[in-house]
Order: sequence, then structure tokens, then C-alpha cells
Amino acid sequence: MASDATLDGLRKVCDDRARPADDTDTVLGVPARYVVAPTSTEEAAEVLRLASQHGLRIVARGAGTKLDWGTPLANVDLILDTSLISGVVEHAAGDLVVVVRAGTTVETLQSTLAEAGQQLALDTPEPASTIGGTVASNTSGPRRLLYGTLRDLVIGITFVRADGVVAKAGGKVVKNVAGYDFAKLLTGSYGTLGLITQVAFRLHPLPAARRVVTTEVTGAEEAGRVVAAVFGSQVVPTALEVDQPADGPLTVAVVLEGTEQGVAGREATTAELLADAAVSDHVPPWFGAYPFASGQTGLKLTTEIAGLPRLLTAVRDAAGRHGLPIATRGSAVGVLYAALPATAAPQTVAAVVQDLRAAANSYSGSVVVLTAPAEVRDRVDMWGPVPGLDLMRRIKDQLDPEQRLAPGRFVGGI
Amino acid sequence: MTSNPSPVDASHGTLGAGGPQDVPAPTGTPAFDDHHPPSAELAADCVHCGFCLPTCPTYMLWGEEMDSPRGRIYLMQQGLEGEPMSDSMVGHFDACLGCMACVTACPSGVQYDNLIEATRAQVERRHQRPADDRLLRAAIFALFPYPRRLRLLRGPLKAYQRSGLQRLVQRSGLLERLAPPLAAMEALAPPMGKSERLPERVPAVGQRRAVVGLLTGCVQGEFFPEVNAATARVLAAEGCDVVIPNNQGCCGALSVHNGREAEAIVFAKRTIDVFEAADVETVVVNAAGCGSSMKEYAELLCDDPAYAERASRFASSVRDISELLDSLGPVAPRHPFPVTVAYHDACHLAHAQGVRAQPRALLAAIPELEVREIADPEICCGSAGVYNLLNPEPARELGDRKARNVLATGADLLVTANPGCLMQVAASARRLGESIALAHTVQVLDASIRGLQPDTFEAARRQPNPSITR
Amino acid sequence: MDLEELAARLRSEIGADAVLTDRQQRRTYECDGLAHYKVMPAIVVLPRTTEHVVAVVRACIDADVPYVARGSGTGLSGGALPHADGVLVVTSQMRAIKEIDAPNQLAVVEPGAINLQVTRAATPLGYYYAPDPSSQQICSIGGNVAENSGGAHCLKYGFTTNHVWGVELVAPDAEVIRLGGKAPDPPGYDLLGAFVGSEGTLGIATEVTARLMRTPEAVRTLLAAFKSTDEAGGAVSAIIGAGVIPAAIEMMDALAIEAAEAAVHCNYPRGAGAVLIVELDGPGVEVEAQFAQVEAHCQDNSAFEIRIAADDAERALFWKGRKSAFAAVGRISPDYIVQDGVIPRTALPDVLRRIAELSGSSGVRVANVFHAGDGNLHPLVLFDASVPGQAEDAEEVSAAILDLCIEYGGSITGEHGVGMDKAKYMSRMFTDDDLDTMQLLRCAFDPSNLSNPGKIFPTPRLCGEVPGRHKGAHPLQKSGLAEVF
Repeated sequence: MASDATLDGLRKVCDDRARPADDTDTVLGVPARYVVAPTSTEEAAEVLRLASQHGLRIVARGAGTKLDWGTPLANVDLILDTSLISGVVEHAAGDLVVVVRAGTTVETLQSTLAEAGQQLALDTPEPASTIGGTVASNTSGPRRLLYGTLRDLVIGITFVRADGVVAKAGGKVVKNVAGYDFAKLLTGSYGTLGLITQVAFRLHPLPAARRVVTTEVTGAEEAGRVVAAVFGSQVVPTALEVDQPADGPLTVAVVLEGTEQGVAGREATTAELLADAAVSDHVPPWFGAYPFASGQTGLKLTTEIAGLPRLLTAVRDAAGRHGLPIATRGSAVGVLYAALPATAAPQTVAAVVQDLRAAANSYSGSVVVLTAPAEVRDRVDMWGPVPGLDLMRRIKDQLDPEQRLAPGRFVGGI
Repeated sequence: MTSNPSPVDASHGTLGAGGPQDVPAPTGTPAFDDHHPPSAELAADCVHCGFCLPTCPTYMLWGEEMDSPRGRIYLMQQGLEGEPMSDSMVGHFDACLGCMACVTACPSGVQYDNLIEATRAQVERRHQRPADDRLLRAAIFALFPYPRRLRLLRGPLKAYQRSGLQRLVQRSGLLERLAPPLAAMEALAPPMGKSERLPERVPAVGQRRAVVGLLTGCVQGEFFPEVNAATARVLAAEGCDVVIPNNQGCCGALSVHNGREAEAIVFAKRTIDVFEAADVETVVVNAAGCGSSMKEYAELLCDDPAYAERASRFASSVRDISELLDSLGPVAPRHPFPVTVAYHDACHLAHAQGVRAQPRALLAAIPELEVREIADPEICCGSAGVYNLLNPEPARELGDRKARNVLATGADLLVTANPGCLMQVAASARRLGESIALAHTVQVLDASIRGLQPDTFEAARRQPNPSITR
Repeated sequence: MDLEELAARLRSEIGADAVLTDRQQRRTYECDGLAHYKVMPAIVVLPRTTEHVVAVVRACIDADVPYVARGSGTGLSGGALPHADGVLVVTSQMRAIKEIDAPNQLAVVEPGAINLQVTRAATPLGYYYAPDPSSQQICSIGGNVAENSGGAHCLKYGFTTNHVWGVELVAPDAEVIRLGGKAPDPPGYDLLGAFVGSEGTLGIATEVTARLMRTPEAVRTLLAAFKSTDEAGGAVSAIIGAGVIPAAIEMMDALAIEAAEAAVHCNYPRGAGAVLIVELDGPGVEVEAQFAQVEAHCQDNSAFEIRIAADDAERALFWKGRKSAFAAVGRISPDYIVQDGVIPRTALPDVLRRIAELSGSSGVRVANVFHAGDGNLHPLVLFDASVPGQAEDAEEVSAAILDLCIEYGGSITGEHGVGMDKAKYMSRMFTDDDLDTMQLLRCAFDPSNLSNPGKIFPTPRLCGEVPGRHKGAHPLQKSGLAEVF
């Protein structure tokens, strides 16, 4: 099956870092033919040029934490393992900027930055995931409330196009409007527009102090009141999370970060806003983690801020209506993650998704099925309706006219 | 419209390139002649930053570049480059209220006031207006600068107001259909009070601190005589001998602000003559428009060897009443006057003379009086001299905006330093079905010094045929 | 269709009063805030609705005529420079603030809405719109979106792109597209991220949904005067190094101070070689704690005078000098070029020294105003266009400054955009491959290259057909003026 010429070509570029795929080398259950692990942007570019000549379909793989995300591909020829394109290129602490290679893991990066009292202000539900994968999947967490998401932190990007051409956009200064913002375009693109090999981020100082104020509330409506009270106050939380387990009480957590003196004052104000508040130096165990585990169905629901309590209620209602336990958690900024059990029947999951889409739509939001068991994937529309899809297809056609980068994994079959 | 479009060449703009690349040489007579055209140098001070745009009333109304200060300067520059004085060009100059808010806003110090006045004089001399417009202008300038003619008009207006005909006419919109400008004038006519004659000299109360002349003004004198009376009383109370020459006439403000240079010069000379004869240190003005043009006599009369120096001396002796009182400092005790006051910056006081703090400080020093600020204070109310007569529609829109902002302050009393503004806002408030008591800054001071009741000005609002009484 | 016919069609579709063809009127639109580039547009249109914009774009497609969108005309890169045979689409009459949605912390506005007006409308409800370009009193949100405008306070709060959640735009195929909206993270490519800052080349925004921020509880502003820019730069490093991210840190050098003083009488400390304006905002307790640190760092770095704004009026005066600085330079020089280069902040002392050397060796005066916190320099290169050779000298110094920025790993533009002015420098910062790749995005949006062509990119490119891009050569290609890729 394997064309030896292809493998030989890959080996010419990457020596023994090119190999035939084994049983574990699958993407969304689809087996690949080759795996290659270049060590640099240049090597990756050569691989992609070769892949272009051979018409290979490529999926980039970092730490492999999200290989079950997205819609299944028809075929994968080559897994391009980015884990060796790693390391911090430059940490300009005085400029609050870091340039890092895509295969570096988030935890490695954070520990390097922490030595200088700095951070990439991004929560990492999966600390072992790579920077490239994190950018490609646009992972975000609780602290997005204050710092925004990756799109707000990425300031420069280097990537390899499907035809093997290396391109960069942005730079390594925080303020820069020269040229189109490809860094944003590639953020959350699921590897369908190019192979990300290097990223520059703006950084933030690690706060001197942190306090977490939590309270249990009677239900979504009260959660909404608490959230509105915190938003209406002047405590400026770093994160404002709600956790609605499948059964059991709903919790609201407010994270305050800053100077020791400042946090103390804000903590007191926050505690006054929240009835029966508990204060801790540590976040609760559920904080920042996805509610779903591997093999389960994981949803991402969005809403305008004021729609949050009603969306939480809609989840509870759908759970009741369809007889499924659904755990939900997320940020008051209007992003919730929900978990449906692995055992749930595909048609039930489909019905839940349909109900939730209707609810989210009425609050300007959407529902995306991030990951799901194979049977469920076959049954549900994972991405839902996507405005601007024609334009997205045209962009894909321009950057990857032969549709060889993760074909079919993204919205609308892109 | 270019008939033969040149290829797109945006990528080859050159630094310092003069005019646009595709403009054919203009044909016809250039817009300006050599007699004091708008200064090319002053026009070149504009760096095109656009900071003037949000303060320009016509830009606010229409959102078009040509009706902004930046655009008008651009039009002047075109004229200087040889473009003819087209109807559309004149239309954009005419639409300018001359409020000078742009002068305040400009970080580059562009003297738009100077530019537009020079332009207007050229327009008046060189542009042939349509017959009905000419007629209207002739009527206005045959009436307003002449106190005696204004006085003659008071009788008929009074009768007209009393008869109830006014309401009928307003309701039917008859006048508005027949002649919008006349309708504008009618709507602005203030309620008539008792006319009051001032003596030629009002002696200082207590120790004399200054000898000042008082300009009584045309509209101020005839439509708001009580303001002049209050001015004289306050000045006297603050230790000034007030000289009020009875042979004084119009200061020429309306003329100069409308490009009627020759006429303005006659008025200015006469005003200088009269006040020189009166032998006063300072000439006090209580109408913002008059004060601003009198402070500019030096420029107006710069070509006249007999007057140039005198004009300059005279101009530097002119003070707005609030400036003078603020610099003198109070000697007359103020009594509590527990009202809330919305203070409106008259354009010719705030923008043209830079007098903003003094009236506020004088008002704020009155015990128990609260001064409230009006939203968008820099935007003109649309009165602008005779602008509301010549351009009633935009003037009305601006007046209504201002009135809404004034009413939104919830203040008891609207205070400003220009008769035109008071009439304008009152008319708009009336149109909105509301009313607000009105007073000039100096009337409020007068009321406080004399210990009058806080409803002094309120009365004007309640009476069907009100007069501002003391 | 010739331009006469196009004008007639536009008049019938969007109304005669919305179409300007009078030469004198059109000429008032021949430049934006960068007044040394002038091109008179063939037709100016003033649409009032999204439908009007659609009609204009459709008519331009049919006539194969380029169009350029313009808001308030305050841009400093010539981004809204018209085309001589094109249509200028002015959004100044689409200026409604449609909605201040406080519960969702959003504002929905038309593109011509003025930046500062959005804040004014939100203030009574306790919110404001954070990006604050110096021209915020007049610049339009649509223009901000096109240029991804920054401002003094973007050090802490980010740029337009971080604050725009949704855009309705008329794409170059005349279709109306909504990107994003009131909820975060719309699925699919981040087209909004690509659109914001695309300088009008990817379409015309007709409605913008912008995030509002809570008006901060406390704002403390300090003005520190130093003998030199080196000392001031040292203070900035110390502040950032201590982990304090102020809302803004602005620096002006002696010449810029002189200009501001002449223009707005801001009364900065006499004898200052540099002043810093440092502003902190946020929760009162937090601001107090950090403000003490900032003050100490300024003192440690030899500030010879520190003023703390006692009230809003004093704060406004501190800022007035800074915000008026560009136009104020008009007081000390008849002409000037504003640059917008960015450097890594720590390179500030080096780069300033080298700018001073450049100025010294060329005899061209350079005033410096900058957002010191994020290394965004605004050197104002002064000249007198009426003196032969000065404009060219200034242009040369200006280009050398941009080269310096690139040499230190920075950018040719931090917030003004590339536009017309800096397109020629793009290839110094990016490779041909980088630029080609960017133009692929343009081809996806605007294959016929009618939406603000000639901006951003140094060389016009033609969009090939996809797939199989190898058909007959375009005349421009044959003549070597353009290339297909």
C-alpha cells in the first residue's frame, strides 16, 4: 500500500523521523499512512512541498490531545508530528513577549515564563497540549473573561502553506497593524489553512495575589443575578465561572487577581455581593477543566452575556426532557461547555443538540459539538449553521486549493 | 465629472505634491480678487486633522465635508487656486454659522474666523445672489442695525402678540408656507416688555473704581432693554461710573459677520468716535456678538490710516461684562438666589472671545445658586446673528437640539450672554411644548445684588404676555 | 458603463442628494488625514443604509470601477485616498448609535458613528468604549475597524480588534455578511479577525457590534518630567518590570512638548527633556497600591517633577497636550510626516538615540510622541514643503526610521495602518511569500480587486482562478506590472 517513493522522499527530509504509520496513528479513527516529525519550519516546509508533489492529505499532530475533535476526514495520508519543532525562541521579558515553536507544550512554556514572573494568560484544560494545537483549536478557559482568548494574545505567526511556502504575519511586537491578521485567521482553523510552526504571544505579569470567592446558588436564575451583580460591581474579576453539575447545586466562582492589598479589598466587596460566599486561595477542582472526558460528547455553547442563565436553564430542561445527565460549566462571558455521557444514544444526543441550538440561537449564540463518539458524529451536525461559510470556502480554496490539509475536519466540510 | 478617467494611480502619490492630479485648470473668473482674499498662508495652517468636524453645527447636521470647517477651508484654497465662485461654493460658505467652535477645537491654531470673514466679504462683493435672497438680506440689514427702526417695529409686534393672532398664525403654519424667513423672525420675536430709557451717566455706588462706557446694542437695546438696565445697575453697584452715550448706534457686528464690509466699517468708525468722545477707560459690552466684533476692529480698519491705530486702541479697551466684573472682583454683597441655572456658552463669547470661566465663576459665587452644564456645550444653538433668518431650517434643527439639551439639565433658568441665543432657545422650547425662564448673566447678578426673589425670572414663563420684571 | 452613467445609476438608486459630482465638492474629499496625498474621486456617495452601500458596490462591480470607503477622513496612512476614476463611499451619514446594550456590555453602531460618541452614549449606564485613538472625538468606528485603531489605552485594553465582536459588511461581491455578533467565539474561521484591520480592502462595514467596558472605579493620572528621554524610558522599564500594566504610558520629547505647549497651553513642567503620562485605572484599592509603585519608579529614575491630577479637569489637561500633539506640530512646522513605527519597548533608548543621530546628520527636526508602554513611536518629521528638497529629506529620514524599527524586530505601523503611505515599505518587513499569502486572502474576498485597490500591498496582484490558475495572461501581467500567483 505505502508508496515507498513517498516514504523515501520523506526520509530524505527527516531521516528516521519519517516512518510508516502504526495502529495508534489515527485521526478521528481514520488511519494514516505515514508519520513524519520535522524539527524546524524549514524541514516542515520541505515535507509539505513533498506532500504537495505526492498529493498527500495531511493532519498536523502536536501532543495529540484533540485528535478526536472535529468532523471525521475521508482520508489521511500523513500525520505531521510537530512535537520536535519545539522550544522557546525568544522570551523578551522586558517587552512582555515570547516567541515559541509550535511543538512546545503549554506547560513547558508556562514554567519558562513563570521564572520571569510572567504568564501566557491562557488556561490550559490540557497542559500537555502543544502551542500549535492550542492555537489551531482556539482553546480557551476561565481567564478569558479578563484577558480574552488566544486571538487576543497571538501577535505573530509563522506557518507553512499547503504548497510548502513558508509565510508569516504579524511580528513580535504587541502593537502592529501591518498586513492582514493571519494569526487570527489561523487561530481556531483546525489545521485546515496551514501548518503553524511558530507563534509570538503577548504576555502578562503573574499576579502577586489571588483569591477565589465561591458561592452555591439555588439555580440558574440566581446564578444570573450573582453574575450580573459582579459585572455591575467594580471588582474586575479575572474569571467568573459557573458550574452546573448534572445533579447537585450550581456554583459560581469569582477569581480576583492583583496586588495583595488590592485583592484583599476586592475580595471583601465580592463576598458582600455573594450570599454565603467561601473564600480560598485556590480555585475549585472543577475550575477550568472541560466537563467531558474522552469518549463522551463535548459541547461548546455560546450566548450573549445576559442569556447565560436562560441557556443554563435550557440545558437543565433538555437534560430532563431527554433523560440525560448533562454537566455544564463555563464562563460568564457567554461560553459554556457541556458533557453528555458516552452511553447516550446518538438520536438522543442529536435531539439535545437541536434543542440547545434553538435556545442558544435566541441568545445570539451557537452550539458546536467539539467531540463525540463515532456513532454520534455520524448522526449529528457537529458544527451547526455557520454564517459566512461561502467566504470561508473561498479562503480555503485560495490557501489549500487541492484540499489536502485536514480535509473535512472543519466547518461545512472544509 | 472627469470625461476621460485617468488610470488609477493611487500607488504613486508623491509627498508634497501640490494639487490633485486630475483636475483640469479651472475656467472662468477666479473666486477671489485681490482685495483681502482669504489668506493662503492662514489656510495652509490647516493640517486636515478633522478635529473641528464634531464641533461644527452644519457637519453635525449634514455630515458632509463641504459643510465642515475643514471642507470650507478646502473650498477657499480652491478659490485661491483659481476655481470660480460657484453657487455651490457660496452655498457652503453661507451655511457656516460663524460660531467659531472650530477655532476653539483646532489644535493647529487655524484662524478660521479670519478666513471666513475675508471670504464672506468677497462673496458679498462678487457673487450675485438670487433676487428673493437679495431682498431678504436687504430687509434684514435695513432693519437690525438700526435701533430706531427696531423700535418702530415693537408696536406692531406687541399688538400682534396680544391679539392672539400669533398663536393662530403659528398653528396654521401659514407664515411658514408663505415665507420661511419671515416665519423664523416671527417665532423668535421675544415677548415685549416695557421699554426703558437709560440715563447718559449712572454714577458708581460707593467708592468709584472705574469709568466704563456701555454699548447698548441694537437688538439688546430694543428687545431686551432690561438687560442693559441690569448691566448699568450691576456696574454701578460694583463701583463703576457708567457712561451710556445716547448717540451710539450699531457696532457693525451683524454686517461684519455677513461680509458687508463697507457697511461694517461705517458702523465701526462711528462707534469708535462716540466712545472716544465719552472718554472712558473701558467699553463694556453685554452682547457676545457685539463684543467679539468690537475686539476685532483693528483688523477691520487696518487699511484706514485715520482709524487703524485708534481702532487698535479701542479694541483693546473692549470687555465683556463678565470679564470686567470678574477682573474687578465683587464689592457689592450678593444675596442668596436659590435657583438652578443652565449656563449656555454663547458662541461669540466662548469661541470668539474665549470667555467661559468668568460667567460661570460669577454665577457660582452667588450663594445658593447651582450652575449646571448643558450637554454638547460647544455646539451652536443656531441663532448666530441673523443666521436663523437666512437659514431657518438648519437654525431650527440646531435650536431644537439645544433646547432639548437645556431642558434635560432640569435647571430652573437658562442663562447666557447673548440676546440671539435666548430668543432662539426660547422659540425652540416653545415649539417643543416646553418653556424655560431666561436671563442674561448680568440679570442674575443684578437679582442677587438687589435681593430679589428666586422666582423673578420664573414669572416670565407663567404669564401669558410676560415681561421680565424687576 | 462610463462614469456619467454610473453616477446616473447611483442617483436613481440611492437618491440624487447622496451622490456628489460637482468638482469643487468632490475636491473637498481628495485627501484624508494624510493630506500630502491627493486624488480627486470621480464620484462621492453618501449612503444612509446598508442597502445603499449594496447598491453602490453592485453598481461599481457592473461598471468595473474601484471604490474606497471613508469615515471621517482622519486616517494617517492615506487609507481612504480616493481613486481618480473611482467612487468614494463616505459613511458619515450612517452614524447612528443603534443600541447601547448594557446587560450584554455591547454597543451596536453604524460605521459612521463617532468613537467618542459611543463612550458618551454608554457613560450614563456605567460603560465606555475602550479603544481611544487620539482622534477619538471625530474618527468613526467604521474607520477604526478598517485600520484596527489603537490609542493611548490599548497598552492594557488592546486594540479595536479586541473590542469588536461583530460586523455586518458589504463584501466585494455586494453580498451582506454578518461576522460574529453578540455572543463570543462564532464557529468557523475568524473572518472578523481578518476583516478588522484590513483597511477597506475586504469590504465595507455597515454595522459594528462593539464590546463596552465598565467605566473604571478609579483613574489616577500622573505626569512626570525628566531631563531626558533615557531617564523617562528607564522609568517605563521599571514600571513594566515591576509587573504593573498601566492603562497608558505616554511619552513626549522636548520638541513635541514645545508644540503642544504652543497649541493648547498644557503647562507641562519647564525644562523637561521628556514627560511621561502614566495612567492607572481599575478597582480603587488596586489602583492605589500600584500608583504608589509607579510614583516611586519615576522618582528612582530621576523625575524632577511629578504631578498627580487632582481632578478630571487636570487629568484632561495632561491628556490634552498629548492628544493634540500631532496637529499641534502645525504650530512649529509648516509640514510634517507622522510615523507610526513600533519597536520592542526595551529598545526605546537605542532607537531614540539613533533617531536623534539621523536628525542631527540630516538637519531634519524630529519631534517624538509615543505610546511608550508598547513601543509604538510617533516620530513627527518636520519640514517645509515650500523649501525645495526639504520634503525629500524628510521622507528619507522617515524611511530610515522605519528601517530602524524593522532592524529592531518591530513594525512599520502600530495603529495608523499601511494604507497608501507605507505600502512601499511592506516588502522591507515581509517577504514576497508573506505578501503573496496575504493577497490570497484578498483574492478570496475581492477577486476583481475593486475594494480599495492600491493600498497595503506594494505590487498589484491579480487573483488567479482556482483551481487551475493557468489561463491566458492578463494584459497587466504581460506588461510586467502585475503577476498572477
